[in-house]
Amino acid sequence: MVQEKRILYEHLDVPNINTFDVFRQHDGYTRFEKAIAEYQPEEIADMVKEAGLKGRGGAGFSTGEKWSFVPRDIEPRYLCCNADESEPGTFSNRYVLEKNPHLLIEGILICCYAMGIETTYIYIRGEFTLGKKMLDAAIKEAYEQGYLGENVRDTGLNINIYSHPGAGAYICGEETGLIESLEGKRGQPRNKPPFPAVQGVFMKPTVVQNVETLCNLPFIVGNGVEWYTQMGPTYGDARFDPPKADPNTGTKLYCISGDVNEPGVYELELGLTCTELIEVAGGLRGEEVKAVIPGGSSAPILTQYELDTRLDFTSLTLAKSMLGSGGIIVMNETRNIVDCLLNIMKFYAHESCGQCTPCRWGTPWVRDIVQRIADGEGRQTTITRPKFGITESGRWGDTGETEEIYEDLDLLENVANNIANVDTMTWNTICVFGIAVSWPAVSYMRKFRPEFEAAIRESKLVTLPVAEATVPPEENYAYQQRIIPKEMVDLE
Amino acid sequence: MAFIKLNDLEIEVEDGTNIVEAAREHDIEVPHYCYHPGLSRPANCRMCLVEPYGPIPGAPPGTIGPARQLATGCTLTVRSAPPERKLEEKFDAIIRTDSDRVIKAREDILEFLLVHHPLDCPVCDQAGECDLQDFSYRHGHDKSRYLEVKNVPPKKDLGPDVLLYSTRCIVCTRCIRFCDEVSGSGELGLINRGSHDEIDIPRSHEGTPIQLLDNKLAGNVVDICPVGALISKDFLFKSRPWFMEKANSICTGCSVGCNVTVEYKTDGLYRIKPRFHGDINQHWMCDDGRLGYHYVNSDDRLQLPQKRVEEELVTTQWADALTLISDNLSEVEADDIVVIGSAQGTNEDNYVLQQFAHDVLKTTQLGLFGQVPGEEHKFPQFTIEADKNPNTAGARTILGSANGNVVLEDDALWEKVAGAKVVYLVSGCPERPLKDTEKDALEKVEFLIVQDVLPSEVTQLADVVLPGTTFAEKDGTFTNSSGWVQRIRKAIDPPGEAQADWEITQQLAKRLGGEIDYHFAGEIAIAIAENVEGYGDATHQNIGDAGIKLT
Repeated sequence: MVQEKRILYEHLDVPNINTFDVFRQHDGYTRFEKAIAEYQPEEIADMVKEAGLKGRGGAGFSTGEKWSFVPRDIEPRYLCCNADESEPGTFSNRYVLEKNPHLLIEGILICCYAMGIETTYIYIRGEFTLGKKMLDAAIKEAYEQGYLGENVRDTGLNINIYSHPGAGAYICGEETGLIESLEGKRGQPRNKPPFPAVQGVFMKPTVVQNVETLCNLPFIVGNGVEWYTQMGPTYGDARFDPPKADPNTGTKLYCISGDVNEPGVYELELGLTCTELIEVAGGLRGEEVKAVIPGGSSAPILTQYELDTRLDFTSLTLAKSMLGSGGIIVMNETRNIVDCLLNIMKFYAHESCGQCTPCRWGTPWVRDIVQRIADGEGRQTTITRPKFGITESGRWGDTGETEEIYEDLDLLENVANNIANVDTMTWNTICVFGIAVSWPAVSYMRKFRPEFEAAIRESKLVTLPVAEATVPPEENYAYQQRIIPKEMVDLE
Repeated sequence: MAFIKLNDLEIEVEDGTNIVEAAREHDIEVPHYCYHPGLSRPANCRMCLVEPYGPIPGAPPGTIGPARQLATGCTLTVRSAPPERKLEEKFDAIIRTDSDRVIKAREDILEFLLVHHPLDCPVCDQAGECDLQDFSYRHGHDKSRYLEVKNVPPKKDLGPDVLLYSTRCIVCTRCIRFCDEVSGSGELGLINRGSHDEIDIPRSHEGTPIQLLDNKLAGNVVDICPVGALISKDFLFKSRPWFMEKANSICTGCSVGCNVTVEYKTDGLYRIKPRFHGDINQHWMCDDGRLGYHYVNSDDRLQLPQKRVEEELVTTQWADALTLISDNLSEVEADDIVVIGSAQGTNEDNYVLQQFAHDVLKTTQLGLFGQVPGEEHKFPQFTIEADKNPNTAGARTILGSANGNVVLEDDALWEKVAGAKVVYLVSGCPERPLKDTEKDALEKVEFLIVQDVLPSEVTQLADVVLPGTTFAEKDGTFTNSSGWVQRIRKAIDPPGEAQADWEITQQLAKRLGGEIDYHFAGEIAIAIAENVEGYGDATHQNIGDAGIKLT
């Protein structure tokens, strides 16, 4: 049985950990003090790079590498903490904000020290009213205790934190959409390049980091790189020659919901399989697993054949899915995949910011097609092709082979792929929202095609048994892309 | 300069040029909607996708292939690269606009653009000059796969001259950016989100407008709208674009001298649109100029000469009017004659007028008449000048070009007029109210000859009225306030027996024994080039459509 490995959440259940005094009793701010006393700013940036910390917000981009893109000669630079946790199925950041906000502040202090940043904006999701309240109280306390403000703890550092509530748009969790919203504009992502590291908030170099990423910094500094890299697997990425180390170090706050007995946030080492994770969450509720969404609603779905996939950045990328924000949704045999897709597509059609053409008009179109299929109005044609052979009457003649054409399924796949092509991983949209729409649409449809076909054929939603509903691996294009054995070289 | 390979062309372009512009220079079409050369580039229509080439990651050095992602041609700029980053050892960039991926991307984007677009081309004003029509025809699918219900957002009245047909809108945001960046007034914005995006003006909760789109540059949003969403009320349902002919001209609304295209049919002018000039008006013009053409089509236009018989103006024949004038002119001393040129007239009109005054009448007393100065309006990227005449600078120089000529203006002029016996006033100003001093002075004149286009307060005082022509009915040149000499071209025939102003002056001169003999405006321009300082190069041939700047 896999045990939880609580690092970020270690003191989460300590009463009043949200107050400065209690936090201080549990090593609070000692890591920041250690950073200032023992390391130069550049050394901390190097430590983060060596530790192999990857952004926990969704893209999984190396944090150290991101920091190295920030030009250090342009003043001012900004840190922008992304607390706009809005991916469906994800709810790990809110516990940090509501229960242990000082940990985030300490992470921000270390990042500010490492990057020479004086101003931090925390863009907090508008719905997190309690989180904002707790965070603001913690910021106030930190100011009072001299950990924020002018000349922090007589070190000569000036660090200020401002928290800013969002207004409830999903797209403001995208880093440039967040920056636009923070600047007081309509929350619409920017064209990249320039990336925020070069031109971000107010067109100045900006580090945008997720809450969870920043919360990892105190532990990397406090316990050292070696301690940190022991957690989680490191793969060799064979796409490079020689294979480049692709670390998946540290822990991840997995938000497990859906058909498990004990849903919730579990902090676990990276690299566990889906099966292990379901076990940790009290086991499956129901007979068998039908599907697992591994990283928030925008991640491609995993079937029962893929439950041995390790839930880390590299493995899921190679499985043509993604770890994303770590929002894992488990579905048992009672769930109808068409209905699930409709639910997700309704969300995305509603949340498309409407800036660029393919997403603005493609996303509602995809939703409408799925809606039509779910309503039992999907289109289907039976084509009879002449084929010569022995007919039923035992004579040589036209056997009249028929083929079922599901136009709406082809249309659905085509339209989704026109927004963002999941096979080539290219998108015509400005931001990655496009791929966040077409990934679920195409993967659900390809991996659970029988259920979609049944809905069209029977003119109503039909929930098939798991084995019938799932396309076996050898028939599915998406599975063929799983090249884990070839490409992953065990460095050890 | 950057050396790039665009499809199979190897071309040199300026550093910082984007691919849309680079391709346009070489007649390669990169379709686009949101990109406008005069505005910022949000790259939101995704129509101008092109395929850049570059080193392939993980491949041996020197291997070049198409990039994983297509890039938008409007934001992709090329710059000369250091030698080690040259592609194929000589190119700064390799771009394809005709690859299969690009062609497919265009088709896909057009399909998305059309899912909610209504099929109302037959009743849409933009049909015929619509980018969506043109690009659909050239790059799009021939049928729609969209079965669902289309969005039908409401039609909106945005301001005095602009209507919004929201159903046709493709949310390229050109109009919003125009109001933010060029006019600086920011009336327009997007409301709602996603597929329900709508352009709108600020409104209260009840829907009553708080701020109308009524800035003086508002008409430009109609021009830059790539589809028929923003429509000018002035032009609505008047004509199909392909039925109109076009003439390049200059706006006469103020002394900026905006380059315009006059669109007309045989029965008059239909609309005026701005034409690009990098140093004067960029892509824009103001609504005063845009909507100020209606007087040209007026039914009240002077069509025949008029003379005063028993306190009443009655129409007469040209021969009669000219005889009457020459009789009167030959009786008075040169000092008692004042010849007044018009800042609304062309350089050619004024040149012949000053020749007539100087050579034939032997008077050096000239005046300059024009519209009453208005207000100056400054915008972040545009200025409307206070001087409401297109040719004040030119008329002043040209009238005063001959030896000893004095050009009087304002009070000095009206003082002089009050003491004169005969005044030959060329006006050409539509709706010119007279101040009391001006009226008093003109009333004292014994014999007042007025050359004008419309009955006005000035013609009411005249003894003889001669029908002149407007900018749309004659050839010539204007000199704007910053010294650019630019061409206007004849679009329509003058009404009735009206004639170009210089032709009338020339006929008068001939009656009085003068030797002025020009056959067309270009000939006068050559005379100007020879005789007027600074205008040495300003022949019609040299000026062309771009104009020339006086040194």
